[in-house]
Amino acid sequence: MKKLNTLNLLVAAVTASALMTFAPIPGEGQQKGGRGGKGKGGPPGGEQYGPYYAAPVTPGEPVGRTPDGQPDMQGFWTPRFNQAIFEVQDHPTRQPGIGPGKGAIVDPADGRIPYKPEAAAKAKELMSKNIYLEPEAHCYVSGVPHAAYQQFGYQIVQPAGYVLFLTEYAHTYRAVPTDGRPHISPNVKMFRGDSVGKWAGGTLVIDTTNQNGKTWFDMAGNFTTPAIHVVERFTPVDTNNINYEAVVDDSTIYTQPWKIVGQLGRHPDKNMELMEFACVEGNQDLVHYTEGAGGKAKEKGPLTH
Amino acid sequence: MRYRTAVILSVIASVPLAAQSYKAPRTPDGHPDLQGIWQVMNTAAVNLEDHIAMLDMPAGRSVIVDPPDGKIPYKPAAAQQQKENFKNRAKADPLNVCYIPGVPRVMYLPFPMQIVQTPKYVVIASEFAHSLRRIYMDGSKHPDVALFWIGDSRGHWEGDTLVVDVANNLPDTWFDRSGNFHSDALHIVERITRTEPDLLTYEATLDDANVFTRPWTIRMLLYRHREPDFKLLEYECNAYLEDAAKESR
Repeated sequence: MKKLNTLNLLVAAVTASALMTFAPIPGEGQQKGGRGGKGKGGPPGGEQYGPYYAAPVTPGEPVGRTPDGQPDMQGFWTPRFNQAIFEVQDHPTRQPGIGPGKGAIVDPADGRIPYKPEAAAKAKELMSKNIYLEPEAHCYVSGVPHAAYQQFGYQIVQPAGYVLFLTEYAHTYRAVPTDGRPHISPNVKMFRGDSVGKWAGGTLVIDTTNQNGKTWFDMAGNFTTPAIHVVERFTPVDTNNINYEAVVDDSTIYTQPWKIVGQLGRHPDKNMELMEFACVEGNQDLVHYTEGAGGKAKEKGPLTH
Repeated sequence: MRYRTAVILSVIASVPLAAQSYKAPRTPDGHPDLQGIWQVMNTAAVNLEDHIAMLDMPAGRSVIVDPPDGKIPYKPAAAQQQKENFKNRAKADPLNVCYIPGVPRVMYLPFPMQIVQTPKYVVIASEFAHSLRRIYMDGSKHPDVALFWIGDSRGHWEGDTLVVDVANNLPDTWFDRSGNFHSDALHIVERITRTEPDLLTYEATLDDANVFTRPWTIRMLLYRHREPDFKLLEYECNAYLEDAAKESR
């Protein structure tokens, strides 16, 4: 990889700080999410997910059913995963661009990713370059499970045979079939991988493989490989609350599978509509990462028609 | 409102006799079921008008059914602009830098798209750069707050046809590879009808008084993917753009 010059570093710093307007460093007062009611982008009285709005914990009604009998999770959901959007594991000390905070890992009990030594070294190296390398700074879609704790939340819709997650961030979606079909060939790798789902009692279980290893769990260099296998469980507790957990396995970089836990709270605004978060379209990093790195993206000619 | 009469006549003319006897299956809430994974088999994404073949641009016939000459009714200055766009398309096509394609272009890109329906929404998810349309079916109005790359879509049912009103369109999108374009005054009315089990008839009337002398209408077929377990994959355009830039170093 070509070494970045000083100008590029400056551009990177400016673009990174522009991104930080969406993802400010959490201050001390934001570490106990759920008290401040200062989360951005929601009605008053909310909680916080990182700096973002999260719906307050409010008991709901019993979970209903969709016409085809699925437990009904439809609606707009806001994630509560401590500070996992910054770093998925516990991160007690301040790092560049990331304040101290709790992650969402419950197993191992120390709240840390059980890296093998060489993988731990790689994560540390990536963290030191996170303002250039963080995949979301490039407007890449998040992988799984990152998509489940994405900032700004998401809408769930459940037509017969599918569960769809429609995400405000970068206008992405996940379409998860629940018709019992197998995974596609392991030869086809994708940012978001291949997800198949099934209902086990009142829990939606989603099995995800085929990820391309180009996504991170967070902004902190916690990387993935194409060998990652994730099993997520969405358990609606009532109409306002969903419990979430995911077991992540990748024997190439971890010493054991590990587990994250979080909650989703229904957005209280009955007239909630997701807006369009256009990412590529306004991202000056496209210039930085292509022209700045020696390429001339806009002169590449037709890529599609 | 002479053009409206023309539009109505063209709609009637568009529906084949066989299709008029077809009745689409219903969703649980009683509306025609348009769900599935669909894709065009035409070259509208190259050029909506009649066009000869060029490099990476297969020949094709106009999908414009009104006006009858199959041409976009540009105002003179706009016609000139389109010629410039065509000349500069390798650099100027917004899809070359992976921008959201906008409506109606997202509907006829050479990528599959999935339609799903719930009582309050019709969702159209395209494989191209995970472009997402959410059509509100709750009688709500367009917001007056912002313009969007993919516009703002509010729909209702007229008989068996899904009618979608698309406003709040950013002016930065093109209709096709050939530089056919619009302004922020673009207003679109789409009509989507399941005319056979595995066919949707897609029609869109486009109006933009800044650019066109009159509204005009495109019409085409969307075909259902029937391969077993067919699903959307991904085309993360901007990531490939970066890869290409790195390879060129």
